[in-house]
Amino acid sequence: MLRAFSTAATGMTAQQTMVDVIANNLANVNTIGFKRSQTDFQDLLYIKLRESGAEVASGINTPGGLEIGSGVRVASTVKVFSPGEFQNTGRKLDIAIRGDGFLQVTLPNGDIKYTRDGALQLNANGQLVTTTGYFIEPAITISTDAVSVDVGKDGSVNVTDATGTSSVVGTIQLVRFPNPSGLSNEGDNLLAETGASGTATTGTAGESGFGTIQSGFLEKSNVQMVTELVNLITAQRAYEINSRAIMVGDEMLKTANNMVR
Amino acid sequence: MPDTIAQIRSSVDSLTEQFDIIAHNLANVSTAGYKRRCTVFSRLLDSQLRNSATGSNGEVALDGALDFSQGDIVETGRRLDFAIYGKGFFVVETPGGQLYTRNGVFHINQNGQIVDSDGRIIAGQAGPIVIPSTIGVSQIHVSTDGTVIGDGTVIGSFRLVDFGDNEDKLVSAGANCFQVPEDIQPAVAENVVVKQAYKEASNVKMMDELVNMITVSRLYEANMNFVSAQKEASDSIMEVAMG
Repeated sequence: MLRAFSTAATGMTAQQTMVDVIANNLANVNTIGFKRSQTDFQDLLYIKLRESGAEVASGINTPGGLEIGSGVRVASTVKVFSPGEFQNTGRKLDIAIRGDGFLQVTLPNGDIKYTRDGALQLNANGQLVTTTGYFIEPAITISTDAVSVDVGKDGSVNVTDATGTSSVVGTIQLVRFPNPSGLSNEGDNLLAETGASGTATTGTAGESGFGTIQSGFLEKSNVQMVTELVNLITAQRAYEINSRAIMVGDEMLKTANNMVR
Repeated sequence: MPDTIAQIRSSVDSLTEQFDIIAHNLANVSTAGYKRRCTVFSRLLDSQLRNSATGSNGEVALDGALDFSQGDIVETGRRLDFAIYGKGFFVVETPGGQLYTRNGVFHINQNGQIVDSDGRIIAGQAGPIVIPSTIGVSQIHVSTDGTVIGDGTVIGSFRLVDFGDNEDKLVSAGANCFQVPEDIQPAVAENVVVKQAYKEASNVKMMDELVNMITVSRLYEANMNFVSAQKEASDSIMEVAMG
């Protein structure tokens, strides 16, 4: 059977994955702190029918060999950590990270996850939580008599009470990874450490290698609608042309079949 | 008559192989740094050359070659994506020796080394390029000559090589890499520009491949029709002979 069938099938599968990734990017065009993913393709192994420079007759060598590839695979989907747009919300507890770094979030089971979604809230006990209700690590509690809360560029949380005295109740810390693209996606805007990401380094915002915290802003998704749509069209056309290869191959085999009537 | 059949057979085999190569090109239309395989069309002359030496019956043989023309440079915005403009390759260190690639979608592993999508180390001028843990990905700048700068200080430099006239000795190793026979030593690439946050798109042109695909399928059909015609001719001869 034609090798081209399976080759074209790998092409279709890979383009299908690309469409899936683009669809997820597009769906998250308004998700705070979302980072778009990009698909990275790799060609598959080659079948060497003839080595290049092989001797075909005495003194005559082929100028090039003959190697037939077996298609393509998706090597990885990588997150692109380019900054998203900063949207001014004016809300004191909305924080955006300018530069590298993630917020730490404690899950109910004690696991630590990471996020760039800085739309923070206060729960019933005055604890600083994410939109989903998970605690920010290190835990920060704001007393009930506070009248205003400010977050500094270094992540320090200042509370002013009714008498006008302000005090620092805690500092939001940032973490950084050698390879942020290696973090795994956990949903709910959360990322988890993996072997590929390397271990987290904790630090204060503004330190060398860490971004600063900007209160009153939210980092929007870094998905660019037009780019994604262009990629979507490319992927769709590539999918189509691979399926065309299968159809043409089928036609070829049909002529071969018709030969014997 | 058997000669004709032998010729047709080799021609059909070659066309099938050519079709497989086209399908592989089409499958890699989105693979960064992929270089199109072209099939050598001057095989009439080529086969004549062989005829004189081997006295074979005009059978055709297919040759493949890599087309190293520049692919489009596409912006990705990812700080660890690199495109090479001009003739040159990144060097990938593997246990089985060095491989060469133009796919610059890189990562940093847990040790801070720059690696490719398969985790293989990308060679610098002096061993692997190690990004210190104090430097974030957004602080990495790579100048057009391949020097890696982290927060103002030089960390290392990509090893960029070129093969000059030996480029046709490169063979595909899969996973976006090429390899050369051991006796060929790469030279330092000159006149190359490394672009950070860009990647080189595949140099496969969909339209060209589509046209080639149609040509191949038509030639295949023509060969098959010829066999049918031969069959009919021999049938009628048999009819006459048998009365």
